[in-house]
Amino acid sequence: MEIRPVEILLVEDNPGDVRLTQLALKENKIANNLHVAPDGVEALRFLLHEDEHADTPTPDVILLDLNMPRKDGREVLAEIKANNMLKRIPVVILTTSSAEEDILKSYDLHANCYITKPADFDQFIEVVQTIEGFWFSIVKLPSK
Amino acid sequence: MTTISRDELVREIEERKRAQAALQRSHEMLQVAEENAHLGSWEMDIPTGDSTWSNEFYRICGLEPGSVEPTAELGFQIIHPDDRESANEAVQESIKNREPYSIEKRIVRPDGEVRYVRSRGEISFDDAGNPKTLRGSFMDITEQVLAHMKLEAISTELMRSNEELEQFAYVASHDLQEPLRMITSYLQILQRQYKGQLDEEADEFIHYAVDGAVRMKRLINDLLVYSRVGTRGEPFASTDLEQCLKDSLHDLHFIIEESKATITHDPLPTIVADSGQLTQIFQNLISNAIKFRGEGLSCIHVGAVENANEWQIYVRDNGIGIAPQFFDRAFVIFERLHTDIETSGTGIGLAMCKKIIVRHGGSMWVESEPGEGATFYFTISKVCGDNYDGD
Repeated sequence: MEIRPVEILLVEDNPGDVRLTQLALKENKIANNLHVAPDGVEALRFLLHEDEHADTPTPDVILLDLNMPRKDGREVLAEIKANNMLKRIPVVILTTSSAEEDILKSYDLHANCYITKPADFDQFIEVVQTIEGFWFSIVKLPSK
Repeated sequence: MTTISRDELVREIEERKRAQAALQRSHEMLQVAEENAHLGSWEMDIPTGDSTWSNEFYRICGLEPGSVEPTAELGFQIIHPDDRESANEAVQESIKNREPYSIEKRIVRPDGEVRYVRSRGEISFDDAGNPKTLRGSFMDITEQVLAHMKLEAISTELMRSNEELEQFAYVASHDLQEPLRMITSYLQILQRQYKGQLDEEADEFIHYAVDGAVRMKRLINDLLVYSRVGTRGEPFASTDLEQCLKDSLHDLHFIIEESKATITHDPLPTIVADSGQLTQIFQNLISNAIKFRGEGLSCIHVGAVENANEWQIYVRDNGIGIAPQFFDRAFVIFERLHTDIETSGTGIGLAMCKKIIVRHGGSMWVESEPGEGATFYFTISKVCGDNYDGD
């Protein structure tokens, strides 16, 4: 039984979406710390504990947007899954795109799952709660 | 010794004159025929290379009839340098296989102009079995070839343009979804967060705003589907229209039951088409018929009429009908004719149906009188070709 809060890394460039995710997570019973990286470059710096991130915890799950400036989600995904230290962390693709090619590409790059952000906030809350419920209550995560 | 009488001699001379005249006329008619058809003819003695060229042959080659001595050498020189090898091969094959040949090649006129010709030839052999004479025709097909090239260029351009349009529609719809999500989500958060603190009017205002965003999202989606009718359509295959109708009725069974609509149909043919798209058409037309049924019970009939080259399918209803001045507008994207009727449609349905039918090479129209129902017709060619050079 986890007694410490769950560490979540959200990689998302849209501040509006970041706020939505925060609000949705607040509605939750599971204690969590939300870390935010505004693009792919920052996400990798965070994950590799570079500079100011030297003491930050490694996340238990990564919520990853696809279309971002500087380095997009697909590149980040590829790098995470190629890195021995990071590849075990479940990556949930959370994106506006429902395009077939994006879904296929993501699974090809070994994303753990792919979710299209719903337009409706109530649905979004449900999605976030389901993500948490699934990955932190039902699923067994690798020990750190 | 037989002597010929004077009368007989005169008769013989007359007959010979008539024969000569007939021959002359025949020769002239051939000339005219060759000229009209841009068809020249020629003959070559293979051992010596001596040749005869018809007047039209000279003209096709850009020469005055009789201006040069026709030889095999000259005939070969006239061929465009890049086509000489294949032309020669064709003749050699023909001699070897003792079969006539037919090839297309280019010739170059003295003024440098390139013409496309179709050259047909036949070899005849002497008693010893050696090739003796090569006889053939030579048709100037430059206009046809150029027209064909132009058509291909236009077709390629159209394909590129369609792909570009689809790209645009995809990007536009994708990029539009994101700000929409922001609008919808934050309005909903406002609703939740300030529940009880806002008055009824505020709730009403928020409701309209959210509703607008939801409708816009559906519109964007429909636009995307519409733009993909050509490029994401399935290749044409044998399609049983009765099965398409059954599938569409299955999809609509809820509103059919709810409205207690009666749907009948004639035997429907099997045609070459995209079955998924044809099912969409039936779905659209029938759901429209039910939607615009007016006061009474909806009675819908789907029929088929066979014409020489096409099938004409129709969907007839007994609903409120459409006034003739609105017939054209009915098929225009987003045009809604009955705004007072509560519909969940975005007005894209008929425009998409028409686009699908156009892709199948057919046409679509409506006949109706206000209050007398409406009949939507569409035609599908019996030998179907894909109008869009897409998938």
